Amino acid sequence: MEKHRVTLRVNGEAYDLLTYPHRTLLEVLREDLHLTGAKESCGEGACGSCTVLLDGAPVRSCLLLAIEAEGREITTIEGLAAGGKLHPLQEAFVEHHAIQCGFCTPGMILTAKALLDATPEPTEEEIRRALSGNICRCTGYAKIVDAVKAASAGGRKSG
Amino acid sequence: MRLPLFQCLSPRSTKEALEILDRYKGRVKIIAGGTDIINRLRQRLLSPQYAMTLKGVSDLRGIKRKKGHFLISAATTLREIVESPDIAGFAAAIAESAGLVAAPPIRNVATVGGNLLQNTRCLYYNQSELVRKAAPPCLKQGGKSCAALKGGTRCFSVYQGDLAPSLIAFDARVVLKKAGLARTIPVLDLFSRNGRHPLTIGDDEILTDIIVPIPKGAYGSSYQKLRLRSGLEYPLVSSSVFLSLSKEGVIDRARVVVGAVGPAPTVVEGAAAFLVGKRPAEADVEKAAESAFSASRPIDNLALPGSYRRKMVKVFTKRAIEGALLSLRKAGA
Repeated sequence: MEKHRVTLRVNGEAYDLLTYPHRTLLEVLREDLHLTGAKESCGEGACGSCTVLLDGAPVRSCLLLAIEAEGREITTIEGLAAGGKLHPLQEAFVEHHAIQCGFCTPGMILTAKALLDATPEPTEEEIRRALSGNICRCTGYAKIVDAVKAASAGGRKSG
Repeated sequence: MRLPLFQCLSPRSTKEALEILDRYKGRVKIIAGGTDIINRLRQRLLSPQYAMTLKGVSDLRGIKRKKGHFLISAATTLREIVESPDIAGFAAAIAESAGLVAAPPIRNVATVGGNLLQNTRCLYYNQSELVRKAAPPCLKQGGKSCAALKGGTRCFSVYQGDLAPSLIAFDARVVLKKAGLARTIPVLDLFSRNGRHPLTIGDDEILTDIIVPIPKGAYGSSYQKLRLRSGLEYPLVSSSVFLSLSKEGVIDRARVVVGAVGPAPTVVEGAAAFLVGKRPAEADVEKAAESAFSASRPIDNLALPGSYRRKMVKVFTKRAIEGALLSLRKAGA
C-alpha cells in the first residue's frame, strides 16, 4: 500500500503530508495536524460533529478522504478566532449558554458561520434549516438558535 | 471506525476514469460525493482493492439546457440541483426530491449520480461487521435466506434514493459510458428489482449524464417523503407524481411512482385510470392513491413496520397527487 503526498490548506496554512489514501480528512486533521476541534461522534455522517468548511461550505470530514481535500481551503474551529479574539459566533455561543457538553459546538458554529457568510440576516426558519444536519444530544437547540440570531447582522443591530 | 485499506485513483477527466475502469475491471469502486459509499466501506460491506474518486473530474458537472431537454451531469451536487432556478422552474418534483435529501452539509458534496446509484438498504444488512457476524449471513451477504422475512428466498432490501422516483416520473434517461461505448436507458431500467444486485450498471461503466425531457404544455409535479425527523433521513416511503393537461384542460398523462417500498421504485400503472381523461377538479385522488397502496408490499426491514409504511404509501401518494394538482393550477391551467 502506497502513501500519497498531499498538501492540505487548513486555516490559511499549507501542510505537506504523506498519508494512506483510505484515511478520512477527520483522521488526518485530528491525528496528524492535532486539530482536535472537529469531533468523531456517529462516524457515519449523521451527526455533524465532524463538520469543517471546505471552500466555505460545511461538509462532513468523516465522509471525505483526506486526499480529496487537496487544493481546497479547509477551515476548522481552530481557525475562527483571530488575534486572540473569539469570532462573534463563538462570543454569542458563550453569551447565550449555547454550549452544554460542547461536543456538537464546533460543528454548530462552523455550519452557522457558512450560513451567516451567505445570508447575514437569516430568519429563524433559515437558521433551523441550516443547522438541521447537526445534532445536539444535550438538546440545547433553542439556545443555539438564539446565539446564531444574536451573531447575525440583525441580532447585532438590535443587541 | 477506520476505512479498509485501498489504493486510490484520482482521474482528471471522464476519459481517464473510463480507462481506469477498463484497466482494473471489477476491482474498482467509484467514490463520487462519497456520502453513501464511505459508510458502506466503513461497515465492510465493500472492501475494494481500488477506489476511484471523481472529485477531480471537471467535465462531469453542470446543468445545461438543450433542445427539448435538460442535461444534468452526474457529479453535479444535490445543492446545485436545489439552487438551480432552471430545475425548480421546470421540474418541481426533482428539485423537491433533491432538497429533501439528508441535510445541507451532505447536499454540498453528495452528487446526483451517487444518489441515483446508491445500493439498497435493510436493517439486517446495513450494520457493522460485528453486528452482521452475530447472525447467519442474509441473502444480500451471500447467505441462503432472508433475515428480515424469516426463511424468505428473495432479498427485500429497499432502494431509498430520493431522486429516482421523480426522475422516473419525468421520464428521464441516463447515459452510461464505458471505454469506447455509450448507451442511454430510461432511469427505470437502472433497476433490476433484485435486492441482492439492485442496479443494472456494469462494473466497467460510469453514469455520466441524466437527460430530463422538458414536458410540453401545462403540467405539474410533486414529491412527498416519509421520514422520522425532518432532517438527515432516508425515505421510509416516498411518492412522486407527474400530471399534464391536454389543450382541452383534461389530464392526459399521469405518472405515479412510489419509492422506498422495495428494491426498485415502483411505477403505479393502475393509478392513471383514476386521473387520465378527467379535469383536475374531477380527479379521483383517493382511488389513485389506493392503487399505489395495492401496488406496494413493504416488509419489516426499515425503521418503521411494513404494515405502517404501506398505509403511508396511500397518504403520501395522495399528498403528492394533490401537490401536483396544485402546481398545475399555479402553472395557470
